[in-house]
Amino acid sequence: MLRPEDWGVVFLSLKVSLLAVGCVLPFAFLCAWLLARGRFPGRVLLDALVHLPLVLPPVVVGWVLLILFGTNGPIGGLLERTFGLTVMFRWTGAAIAAAVMALPLMVRAIRLSLEAIDPRYEQAARSLGADGPRRFLTVVLPLSLPGVLTGAILGFARSLGEFGATITFVSNIPGETQTLPIAIYSALQVPGEEGRVWTLAAVSVALSLAALLVSEGLARRGTKDGHVL
Amino acid sequence: MSRLFRCLFAFMVLLAPALAQAAPRAPVVLAAASLQEAMNDAADAFARTGHPRPVVSFAGSSALARQVEAGAPADLFVSADEDWMNALAAKGLIRADTRADLLYNTLVLIEPAGQHTRLSIEKGFPLSRALGGGRLALADPAGVPAGKYAEAALTWAGVWGAVKDRIAIGENVRAALALVERGQARMGIVYATDALASNKVRVIARFPRASHPLIAYPVAQIARSDNPEARAFLAFLTSPRGKAVFRRHGFGTR
Amino acid sequence: MSFDVDVSVRLGAQVLGAAFATGEGLTLLFGPSGAGKTTILNMVAGLVGPDAGHVRVGGETLFDSAAGIDVPAHRRRLGFVFQDARLFPHMKVRANLLYGWKLARSEDRWIALEEVTRFLGIESLLDRAPRTLSGGEAQRVAIGRALLSGARALLMDEPLAALDPERSEEIMRVIERVRDELKLPILYVTHDREEAARLATDRIEVRPL
Repeated sequence: MLRPEDWGVVFLSLKVSLLAVGCVLPFAFLCAWLLARGRFPGRVLLDALVHLPLVLPPVVVGWVLLILFGTNGPIGGLLERTFGLTVMFRWTGAAIAAAVMALPLMVRAIRLSLEAIDPRYEQAARSLGADGPRRFLTVVLPLSLPGVLTGAILGFARSLGEFGATITFVSNIPGETQTLPIAIYSALQVPGEEGRVWTLAAVSVALSLAALLVSEGLARRGTKDGHVL
Repeated sequence: MSRLFRCLFAFMVLLAPALAQAAPRAPVVLAAASLQEAMNDAADAFARTGHPRPVVSFAGSSALARQVEAGAPADLFVSADEDWMNALAAKGLIRADTRADLLYNTLVLIEPAGQHTRLSIEKGFPLSRALGGGRLALADPAGVPAGKYAEAALTWAGVWGAVKDRIAIGENVRAALALVERGQARMGIVYATDALASNKVRVIARFPRASHPLIAYPVAQIARSDNPEARAFLAFLTSPRGKAVFRRHGFGTR
Repeated sequence: MSFDVDVSVRLGAQVLGAAFATGEGLTLLFGPSGAGKTTILNMVAGLVGPDAGHVRVGGETLFDSAAGIDVPAHRRRLGFVFQDARLFPHMKVRANLLYGWKLARSEDRWIALEEVTRFLGIESLLDRAPRTLSGGEAQRVAIGRALLSGARALLMDEPLAALDPERSEEIMRVIERVRDELKLPILYVTHDREEAARLATDRIEVRPL
């Protein structure tokens, strides 16, 4: 049913989404932490900024990425000059687009789980001799793990479905940036390619459903065991 | 816990070499979405002559031009209209000496297959009456070339005012084609090549040459491209063998 | 002298203060709800910072506003037993017990896991998850966890309040044994007269401001 090039598209999509989620996860955790626990000026601004990709049209996000990460852009130029690294038209660029679009969902999930942690556990850890970093590692992080996993999976599913920002930023290059949604878009442009559209759409649905089911399962397990994983 | 960190770390380390990979040597071609089948065939034909197969990215001309502006590592740009090529030329982003009008296209009025409307296109032709209660599918006249040409042609015929509230806008010309294929729209205006690619639509009539600006697809090498394969592919596209591929898909060539 | 405390803190428009010095055994901070007993306990533990005064335990100064000393809570070696046991939900009983023990310097450890579990009768609970424990069991584990952290004294904040009378009696006996057999100084907060009468060696009344 799947042609070899379709398998290529599926693996590329998985690779892009994994890199996106893996790299953005620590950053998402930091944002969630600051929003859940931080009391600093600019907190509302950070909140708005993090949520921006959720409410902006994806093409706008892609366009902003194009300006920032393009070879002529401030960040893209720096990467190219210092590391010889080009992200434009590369699968790594697709991962950047996916990561930005996935960030708000991940921050929301992690933030919820951080806010649900009873601060009295940290007080107990403190009275038992744990300093700040150790309290974080032994109490906060494990107790927020269900939220972190849920966030990662939601972000992964969002990455798999990312289209607008990706095609605007890194184009539609087979084998490099042509992820599942973009391959579907391309097939839609060709009369008579409906078969391929159906196949790729079915794979999309299956992958996203699987991710959401796993996330749902983790959430349920998290509540049942009182955040035990 | 520390196991999780170790896994993450290993993951990053494994990714590092992948990040540093060099770009592929085959030329990277940015082509308007409407060229998908024809350009893929041309790339295959070029590959059969012993060259690496060009990597072609199909998207809207506007999106592709923006990517060139941002410094995309691409070699050739084939635009669906002159405007975007002019914009890049003005900024010195293409090599002026390599620019050429690669292809020409014409506009046709179509309807779903199985219909048999008889209508010839001339000034004041009864398009509105022929539509009945149905809609006319177009690509977005605000920004998509196919839509702009269609609006120009209908304005030339003096019927734009009569039908402009009854159009169904597609995000691009292939979306407009799909609206007619599925019978969502009673008629549509698309490129002759789109009509040829689909067996679910019937061409009612061809728009006269004078009714709209010349529909040309300019090609040029991007200024920062230094891939010799790009020149070779450009030469192939304008060679008799290359032109034959495009004519098979309904395009005009010089 | 076990606890030598003289602290004050401003809470909104009010100033809460307490000054007392205790001998051996269990010292009771006794008074109605809302009198500020828990805040005083938190100031001793270092969880709330006093505006002025000093806190000395067993002769060591943990806080002295005049001398600029403020030992952080996690280095005060005061075992805190809360009203709710506050066992870490993601760890088994054994890991909960050893949490503070692992963090303590070896010279500060004065009791071993086996001793604690025998003393408190919790040997059979080691592999259980906290959510499967009864209130009395959880509170015994919490006391064990505080002892194992190398504590030189215990701070107890209404440790019986959440228990039914039977469990309450069980934990009361444990606390008496900690007081008499382990000879650990205890600062104990309650508003229950019966509890107060039975446990206290010494007693300090805390009145609402």
